[in-house]
Amino acid sequence: MSTTPRVSSAIASEPAHFGSVLAHQPEIAASFFALYGRFWGSDVLSARTKEIARMRNARVTECGFCRNVRFDKAVAQGLGEEVVDDITDGYETSAKLSDAEKAVLKFTDALIHDPELLTGDAKAALQRHLTPAQIAELGLGVTLFLALAKALITMGLEPEVMGRTVLPTPAVLEAAE
Amino acid sequence: MSGPVFAALSGDPVLAQHYADFRAKAEGALAPGLVAMIRQAVAQVHGLEAAAIDDTTLDHGTRVCIAYARRMPFEHTAISDAEAAAVVAHLGEARFVAFSVVTALADAECRAAMVDLPGLAGA
Repeated sequence: MSTTPRVSSAIASEPAHFGSVLAHQPEIAASFFALYGRFWGSDVLSARTKEIARMRNARVTECGFCRNVRFDKAVAQGLGEEVVDDITDGYETSAKLSDAEKAVLKFTDALIHDPELLTGDAKAALQRHLTPAQIAELGLGVTLFLALAKALITMGLEPEVMGRTVLPTPAVLEAAE
Repeated sequence: MSGPVFAALSGDPVLAQHYADFRAKAEGALAPGLVAMIRQAVAQVHGLEAAAIDDTTLDHGTRVCIAYARRMPFEHTAISDAEAAAVVAHLGEARFVAFSVVTALADAECRAAMVDLPGLAGA
């Protein structure tokens, strides 16, 4: 895995990072940020639940950037580091994650790693805890988290060193609506 | 637009349209034939596509891109600087960015199909 950017920044004053590299394709960037803002702005599924799935994806895909970023809306909904620490192998026995969150994590593992993990019981648990609309939104989220993590890693945009960073949750830009 | 994610979002047309637009913008930055081959190559790695791409019919640059795409599903952390540089040499930086998004999205969509995301979402 490379921490040397394989693409240059398209923004003269900035180093290569996901946003400055995506700026090589302004239409893709604008569309992505509109989608991501809409996704995070929706309350069909809580930001805390989305962030739990995102954290799991970060660990499985080995995306260091994703692993160190926290979105503030999820933090405000009680997703502290003591909970994030439990989003690791063995999360099934965590006392800090709810049964619904464990069902979300099992679905996330199935999508990003092994579909066989979504056994009959795991599927039933997911559908017991989440509505169809929430599952659709979760599926979109995990799809985007996985794709973006892999794109980021393969473009060499992993940071060499990065501390934990709380960022504003992506939001819909008013001008884009 | 087709695919498991778009189908699963049928109950939220606005979000579905945003997703469709993003995928269309990414795919639109590349030649349609290359996009089709990327999706076919990735689907074949996942066992979702029976028809193999005949690499002998491809020019060198396209062959490099398809070999790279085949690594995305299970070997993304093992792709080397040299492999990436070869794709950049063929596509240029801007289209390499689109290529990275399209390839990673193709992989994620295969995985969404394999867990039957539309069925889980009642679509």
